[in-house]
Amino acid sequence: MAQNRSVSITGFGIVSAIGVGKQETLDSLLSNRTGIGRLKYLKTVHTEFPVGEVKLSDEEMERILGIAPGTPATRTALMGMLALHEALSDACLGRGDLLQAAFLNGTTVGGMDKSEQYYTDFIENDTRNEYIKSHDCGSCSEMTADRFGRFRYITTISTACSSAANAIALGGDMIRAGRADIVVAGGSECITKFHLNGFNSLMILDRELCRPFDVTRAGLNLGEGAAYLVLESDESVRKRGVKPIALLSGYGNACDAYHQTASSPDGEGAYLAMSRALADAGLAPADIDYVNAHGTGTPNNDVSESQAMIRLFGENMPPVSSVKSMTGHTTSASGSVEAAICILALRNGFVPVNYGWTNPMDDGIVPNMELKPSCRLRNILCNAFGFGGNDSSLILTATD
Amino acid sequence: MLQESRVNVLSVKQISIQKPLTEEWMTNPEIHTENFVRAIDPDFRQFISAGDARRLGKLLKRALATSLSALHEGGITNPDAIITGTGFGSVESTELFLEAMIRDGEQMLKPTWFMQSTHNTASSLIAIHTQSYGYNSTYTQKGLSFECALYDAWLQFGLGRISSALVGGHDEMTPEFAGFMRKAGHLLEGEICSEAAVSALLSTREQEGTKALCTVAGVEVLDSPDAETLDHAVRSMIAGNIPDAVLTGMSGNATNDGYYHFLKKTLPEVPLLRYKHLFGVNFSSSAIAFYAAANCLGKGFIPPVLTLTGESVSCSKGILLINAVEGRHYSVILLKPLCGKL
Repeated sequence: MAQNRSVSITGFGIVSAIGVGKQETLDSLLSNRTGIGRLKYLKTVHTEFPVGEVKLSDEEMERILGIAPGTPATRTALMGMLALHEALSDACLGRGDLLQAAFLNGTTVGGMDKSEQYYTDFIENDTRNEYIKSHDCGSCSEMTADRFGRFRYITTISTACSSAANAIALGGDMIRAGRADIVVAGGSECITKFHLNGFNSLMILDRELCRPFDVTRAGLNLGEGAAYLVLESDESVRKRGVKPIALLSGYGNACDAYHQTASSPDGEGAYLAMSRALADAGLAPADIDYVNAHGTGTPNNDVSESQAMIRLFGENMPPVSSVKSMTGHTTSASGSVEAAICILALRNGFVPVNYGWTNPMDDGIVPNMELKPSCRLRNILCNAFGFGGNDSSLILTATD
Repeated sequence: MLQESRVNVLSVKQISIQKPLTEEWMTNPEIHTENFVRAIDPDFRQFISAGDARRLGKLLKRALATSLSALHEGGITNPDAIITGTGFGSVESTELFLEAMIRDGEQMLKPTWFMQSTHNTASSLIAIHTQSYGYNSTYTQKGLSFECALYDAWLQFGLGRISSALVGGHDEMTPEFAGFMRKAGHLLEGEICSEAAVSALLSTREQEGTKALCTVAGVEVLDSPDAETLDHAVRSMIAGNIPDAVLTGMSGNATNDGYYHFLKKTLPEVPLLRYKHLFGVNFSSSAIAFYAAANCLGKGFIPPVLTLTGESVSCSKGILLINAVEGRHYSVILLKPLCGKL
């Protein structure tokens, strides 16, 4: 069974608060530069909350992409297009290749940025009907993909903050099952007033810079971004003569089955997701060189995830960090944004830092605070947990 | 490669604009003529506590009711996987939160509306109620959301990871969103905007004391297939065995019905069936098609209310389900009787 379980990753693209594209992202990670700051692009009264916005307006993104002004486009789709463009070029995929490929997109807000802006028009007149059309998440995926051609299969996964991780796992399954040779999987999500207010109503936003795994942590900072990985079968890698940059060697999906928004105190779902990913990859906990934690900075998540990691790794805890301290919580996109960051870590041999951490929790893990350059990483466990206990873990492995 | 294990449909339950949790519509359907019809709800207290009945939105209550009912009938308490498709999610909660935010400003908003607005609430709520820690996912792809969920289940069965799955298709509607459906062109002239909640319990094992309705023989979902690809997808799925009938999403709207014209060439002799005249149109309509076909196969006949000719058709070989969305996306599903010739 362990034979040929790994799926090749032959390219990726990433957009977040710490950079547009992988070079900017890498530079930010290596120079410990956070992308979280004061609100600039979202129109809201809640300017008290720091956010990790992508440092481009919609119009600037349209210009970069060469989209004619006035063409309907949601922010989630625009960020998705930037990341998808980079992923496709990175993997040397053209329009013709996409016809047999799958596009698996994770998002939850979809076109909500425009819906909340034009909702009154939606009801009262016909001036913004094109944005009614792009309201639902599936349309958002189509808008993103259609810019580059037609895929054989398009679907949208919406499991809240684990959406993109589950899209990547589904891609792995489609390749393992022989249902696709090339899959482009990930997610995209912009900050909206809708979920900024939603998270605020749940009282899980921090008014300071977020501090995952710090005893003084008071919540998360919302972020936004998009990232896609190109997954490919061995046969397609050979046929196209491309070189894998990393491997997706396993993944696990579990439900915490505890509460609609809170995680269980013992982190059962998180533990199951990580254990299943290890079993799927045929690896032991000791094989993991770094854990990219979900680490939102909410009091609840960080206890729950810590407990699950302590249960899984015991005394031999590998370096752990949450890059949400720099990107903000990119919600539905976080699974792929952070998987892309893990690939950068594997390729460039460093462990990202848990920015802003100072004081240990009583019952938590102590995150990595020192940028460890030139270390050799082989296997990274990357967590993405969502509301409703939709917990997923991915394992990314270096190529030899 | 995919394993060869037979995926049985143990039970499928519906709440729709026909009488809920029953197949009475086969012989005595409700006839609707309005533009927008909301689902006929059962008494939820037989499934959930009074507190939950008050707290939860309609989509969630219906998802729980159809799921718990399907699990009960199929004799499974904890399915290995819970996978849901929903095109719009809980639009009622979304709308309440959005309207309050616009009307009252960004203060004092109710967390309940936000919590229930995310698409994955149905799958997670079912998991919480049944204490299922297994595979859990949610798909949202307009009118193909259910098939995307089914496709995932099909993959998980094929990879040998699961032996049972609860697959759902759930969409609710409000007057506002019904209007949006038309404005966005998701709903065409003459089509009834409706709601649907369907839960299907699938298993590779036959449960003791229960008889499966049918088996799933194939699931394919395609974006923008050309005529040749579509023809090939149908032919390779039926593998030379002509099914009894094809259940289509024909609604009486000429544009929509045109998407099914290829069947005249691909399967010229096979009778076409329809269901949207009875169940209306929403993003989970195709889940209703799955429900209807599975129950026809379980009973061994296709009632006249589904046929274009008004005559009943026997079913001993299988029913092919074709769903065409906007003439762009197609899904092809084959359901076979338990001991049929196919």
